[in-house]
Amino acid sequence: MPTAARTYWLTSPCRIRRKDESLVIEREAAPKVHIPITDVRDIIACAETDINTAVVSLLNRHRISVHLLSYYGDYAGSLVTSDTSTSGQTVLAQANLAQQPSASMAIARSLVDACAFNVRRVVDRQLLTAPYTTLQASIKEAETPLHLMGAEGTFRRSAWEVIDTKLPDWLQLHGRSRRPPRNAGNAFISYVNGIIYARVLSAVRLTPLHSGIAFLHSSLERQRHSLVLDLAEMFKPLFAERLLLRMASRKQLKKHHFDTGTNQAMLSEAGRKLVVQTVRDELATSVNHRSLGRPVAYDELIYLDALALTRHCLEGTRYKPFRIWW
Amino acid sequence: MISDEDVGGVHIKYLHHCRRQLWLYLRGIRPEHLNATVQLGEAVHDSSYPRHSPVDLGAAKLDFVDGHQWVHEVKSSSRPTDADRAQAYHYCHQLARFGNDVKGAILHYPATRRTVRLPYTPEATAQAEEDIQEVLSVATALTSPDRLPRNRCRGCSYIDYCWTE
Ligand code: SF4
Repeated sequence: MPTAARTYWLTSPCRIRRKDESLVIEREAAPKVHIPITDVRDIIACAETDINTAVVSLLNRHRISVHLLSYYGDYAGSLVTSDTSTSGQTVLAQANLAQQPSASMAIARSLVDACAFNVRRVVDRQLLTAPYTTLQASIKEAETPLHLMGAEGTFRRSAWEVIDTKLPDWLQLHGRSRRPPRNAGNAFISYVNGIIYARVLSAVRLTPLHSGIAFLHSSLERQRHSLVLDLAEMFKPLFAERLLLRMASRKQLKKHHFDTGTNQAMLSEAGRKLVVQTVRDELATSVNHRSLGRPVAYDELIYLDALALTRHCLEGTRYKPFRIWW
Repeated sequence: MISDEDVGGVHIKYLHHCRRQLWLYLRGIRPEHLNATVQLGEAVHDSSYPRHSPVDLGAAKLDFVDGHQWVHEVKSSSRPTDADRAQAYHYCHQLARFGNDVKGAILHYPATRRTVRLPYTPEATAQAEEDIQEVLSVATALTSPDRLPRNRCRGCSYIDYCWTE
């Protein structure tokens, strides 16, 4: 990925204006910030953000997307530029695979397997050995994506239980809940998953793949970018579950990082800043990539995985979804 | 897929660098805008020769043609490659096709302050024509050409695509 262009994270309420070829970020009680447009790769708005047509047309011309995370900690949507990198032949090949039940089930199976592998890796290898073995058996028998999702759900439930044993009472999940998250732990997971979804969308849009043609999730879902849901599976555990456990054990998460009501919770302003900062640092962490022989940031791993899927579609090379190897 | 008039300088450059790269490029795989070295190339273009505006000639893009019928090309690398030469002949060929009495090409390497003069000879014409046919044959190949040996891929903007496993 370009070294010059960066992802900009907006963590406090602001207005984005345009001044010639620059973006101007205006915040209350803070000086204006000018950002040359060539410095921006994409923008993740984690707080209330106003944007106007002049800004949108500039962003569009530079192929910059803005991802919006809602105040309540969920992914709210994206302003994606109309220009994409899709290539006709790649999209045809992708659609072709998606329509062949055996080919698309093979991809869907490997996605579910890799996701569970990663969950187990970050939660507890020992305690999740049995559920993982069960999952692998169900994956073999599954005949439809729906079966696969069911099997994944079962595995996930075991994982949530194990996670709860490692969290202080007030952060425990008691099962997964969204829209709205019922408790602090769920609010954390939803928020991080929202960020990851946004990163995967950015990555997919840099490849020639079509974000709406998926293998595991239904392409007909209300959600337009179903391929992004597919690819986000493997990366969510690397960030959401892993960081929740880590931040809890280091006692970095405090009650004041959440606004909790009777049956719902969300990150507070301070919590949002802390979480965004943590995920952002994490995305920039790098590991040595074995086949590329150079250090690669976690953020880039997402892009590389989307490229590997592109290659699978176009050239039939085997696609092995991302697994944590370190 | 493409016809001989559509063959441009990029096709010729990729043909000489790696056929697989050309095959992928023709199928819309364009990761070059992600690649930092390509961005560097753009920066050189922007800053080194601001006085001349590029000439757009269908598929071929020239940096400029001077008053004496020499084609000028600015390169961001430091020394000439086979691909640079082939590309230069291709531009000459394009201009000749449109009835210009082109004399040859001059390649500029601002990084090392070198210039290379390449007169447009009958042999150069033959090579340019042959290259166009080669591009067309790669275009119609049903399967992708193999990867080059890993060490020859160094610096290629398709590395991430080709070598991620
Ligand atoms: S990475 Fe290597 S094999 Fe792939 S296109 Fe570039 S030179 Fe060819």
